[in-house]
Amino acid sequence: MIQLENVTFTYNGSEEKGNLKNISLSIRQGEVILLCGESGCGKTTLTRLINGLIPWYYEGELNGIVKVDGKEIREQPLHILSRKIGSVFQNPRSQFFNVDTTSEIAFSCENQGLPEDEIRERIHQTVSLFQIENLIDRNIFHLSGGEKQKIACASVSAGEPEIFVLDEPSSNLDVAAIEDLKHIISCWKSAGKTVIIAEHRLYYLMELADRIIYMQNGEIRREWTTADFLGLSQREVENLGLRPASLKQIYELHIEKSSGSGFYQLKQMDFAYKGEQQSLHIPAVNFTKGTAIAVIGKNGAGKSTFLRCLCGLEKRCSGEVQDNGKSYSLRKWAKNCYLVMQDVNHQLFTESVFDEIVLGADNTDTNKVEQVMERLDLISFRERHPMSLSGGQKQRVAIAGAIFSDKKMLLLDEPTSGLDFRHMEQVAELMQQLKQQGKTLLIVTHDPEFILKTCDNIIRIEDGTIAEQYSLDTAEMGKLLDFFHLY
Amino acid sequence: MSAGLISGNENTVRFTLDPRTKLALVATVCTIMTSGRVGGIMTVIHPVLALVPFALLFLSGRVKDAASYLLAYAAAYSMISFVMPVTSGMISILIGATAGIIYRMMPSLITGYFVVSTTKVSEFNAAMERMHISGKITIPMSVMFRFFPTIKEESAAIKDAMHMRGINSLRNPMEMLEYRMVPLLMSVVKIGEELSISALTRGLSGDTKRTNICKIGFHLSDLLCFLLCIACWICFVLHVGGMI
Amino acid sequence: MNQQSSKLQAKDLITIGIFTAIYFVVFLACAMLGFIPVFLLAMTFYGPIITGIPFMLYLTKIKKFGMVTITAIICGILMFVFGMGYFTIFTALIFGLAADFILKAGNYTSKKNTTLAYAVYSIWFIGNYIPLYLTRESYFADLVSGYGQEYVDTLRAYTPGWMFLVLLAACFIGGLIGAALGKAVLKKHFVRAGIV
Repeated sequence: MIQLENVTFTYNGSEEKGNLKNISLSIRQGEVILLCGESGCGKTTLTRLINGLIPWYYEGELNGIVKVDGKEIREQPLHILSRKIGSVFQNPRSQFFNVDTTSEIAFSCENQGLPEDEIRERIHQTVSLFQIENLIDRNIFHLSGGEKQKIACASVSAGEPEIFVLDEPSSNLDVAAIEDLKHIISCWKSAGKTVIIAEHRLYYLMELADRIIYMQNGEIRREWTTADFLGLSQREVENLGLRPASLKQIYELHIEKSSGSGFYQLKQMDFAYKGEQQSLHIPAVNFTKGTAIAVIGKNGAGKSTFLRCLCGLEKRCSGEVQDNGKSYSLRKWAKNCYLVMQDVNHQLFTESVFDEIVLGADNTDTNKVEQVMERLDLISFRERHPMSLSGGQKQRVAIAGAIFSDKKMLLLDEPTSGLDFRHMEQVAELMQQLKQQGKTLLIVTHDPEFILKTCDNIIRIEDGTIAEQYSLDTAEMGKLLDFFHLY
Repeated sequence: MSAGLISGNENTVRFTLDPRTKLALVATVCTIMTSGRVGGIMTVIHPVLALVPFALLFLSGRVKDAASYLLAYAAAYSMISFVMPVTSGMISILIGATAGIIYRMMPSLITGYFVVSTTKVSEFNAAMERMHISGKITIPMSVMFRFFPTIKEESAAIKDAMHMRGINSLRNPMEMLEYRMVPLLMSVVKIGEELSISALTRGLSGDTKRTNICKIGFHLSDLLCFLLCIACWICFVLHVGGMI
Repeated sequence: MNQQSSKLQAKDLITIGIFTAIYFVVFLACAMLGFIPVFLLAMTFYGPIITGIPFMLYLTKIKKFGMVTITAIICGILMFVFGMGYFTIFTALIFGLAADFILKAGNYTSKKNTTLAYAVYSIWFIGNYIPLYLTRESYFADLVSGYGQEYVDTLRAYTPGWMFLVLLAACFIGGLIGAALGKAVLKKHFVRAGIV
């Protein structure tokens, strides 16, 4: 089905990252292939070679032979290739062309010029196969990330390609949505389709993948059958820079906790969106100082609203916070909080890391800035443009700004979405460091590994209120594992 | 108000018009109402066309919107006819400016808004294809309509981020502009690239023939609208020709 | 796209849509101030300055004939649909095409040409003011019924015949400044961030 022989590819004008060296690989019809490896290892580039984005979209120097369906890829323009190969990408927000879901599912069929009745029939089939009847005729802008990703899969699937290429499809999904994604891939597998997935999260693919290919520095280094891969020890998997193959392994990742001392008490938080039913009502909750608190809950439970209210972004939210016997209105307290957004690009404004850190502050004490940069390992980027940095570095710049302005609480929204093992570990280390500096962290996350590595307490939100709160010790561990379906 | 080019279509709209009919209505209202012709038959045509957006809103079940439009229009009309003659100076100018905008521009604006908010991107594409309009115009336009809500979302997130950093003062407007615009452009460019990739790998291409699952076609209501448009145009042309 | 075709490809058409959207949104935000009578005229000047930022970025993304014309036509249609009269469609077409020719003459890379092209393109907005002059008497007569005599007299006083040329010049000069601002922002941010 797919053949690559001695393929070498270099992006135009790029650094080393993501280039391919000497790749030879052949994939048979009906195989499910999992491509793994650290960020920048070239797995995304390899998917682009297969779906034709290289050479038809990304420019660079391509040598070697890439054949899909027996034909050289350079001879098949993208709109022809798209009939054989369907692609799903990482970011659910950016990959839809229409505003309503039904038109979106029809999109690839319409582009093929299929007759209307046939398209309707295919939409019907796809919708019932994926069990997404509830998503029909909806506004895509009102869907959750997981639902958007299902629509993206359905749109590709309705085009009935023989090959599916997925590039980190689970990056922005929660545990439940990943289960749905797994179901979709298994549908393709049982229909005899060829599926190629580049992914950081491995566990959900263990029952589906036939072969697992490990890449490093643009080369294929190892290859396992799934059974062999599952036989690797946890240490071996970590040394390869991979996330665990089974969620049960996560269990042992647990590390020492900080107990903290004293707490901030939040009382009577009340908020409702205008004209919507969803609301937030929290009678009282304590945040232990100097600890990391994971905020978990299902999609739409109100986790993000909770963070937004705490840092003053929802002005109509009422409530108060007590600290050291003093009481602050929520509005006043918001000055002590800083939200690190999921898309950190939204909160970088200036032209250098230095300017970014002092932005909005009254004093620009250079010594203090340097201390902060030192602690967050940003010294060497002092004059770089923040947007030219990597994702993790950008995140550190945003955090540096918060630390410089002496915020007491840092709120983080999905800080590890789309990160590979090593980068996730780096964020976890950073969180430990922040705790030691006495910062209190509230982290909304779907990443059980990350929780076990960093968090001391758990708050579970359901229907806009706190359903339970517990500290993460062995006695209570069951609750967390239960939430993530880890048994 | 959630539907159409601006925001998808979740409400089942009972009253539907073919997109081409809507275009004809827009063309009629927007041309004749802004043509600057007054007197003669136009004293009849103006109020008739001003009722078009009301009828559209009302028939499609947005009774509240229809009522507020009618109220605003009637208020503006009475301000101009009854209040303005008895005032003078700055007050008259202020009333003239606000009421005038409502009186002159609202009908066109609301008709335009109605069309944009009740037409799905795919309906729009289907209509354009039937009218043999080139993909060179329709592809950018459909991308644009899909992008308005994205720009809104991104812009809101950036505004929040600025608020948190305490940089929302108006001390330095140039700086504010930069902080608002630069991150917005950066993220829009990125989303745009990802959208391109996703559309291209699903077979969008400028020159091949597309089909469309949208069932569009003319019904009785379309016929009535067209008759109204034609009647207005005949009157308008005769008026321009100096006959009525 | 690997093929260095000078024709507009699907990818380019999508990019045109995106930048037209953002150009128009920024433009509309400027125009909101235009409901205040003085700004209505000042808009010809400050509008092009502010929209210079997205537009200069736009010009780095595609370098093919027709891009500005398409953007112009769409803006013209939108202005028409939102009740600003039909003249704008024509001015948009004319100045959009002119801008494309200027860009083409500079191979879509010459810095002088991009500045000039943007300034020329910015004149499209003048279409909104044409009724004020072309059908001046009937326009004012119509305005009286809507805005009242006093407002119209003020507007008339502010818009003598030569004012049209001033507005035209304001668009053009605003465009020149906008291009310079846009390029400065490109250099300060987008080049350093590695996006251009």
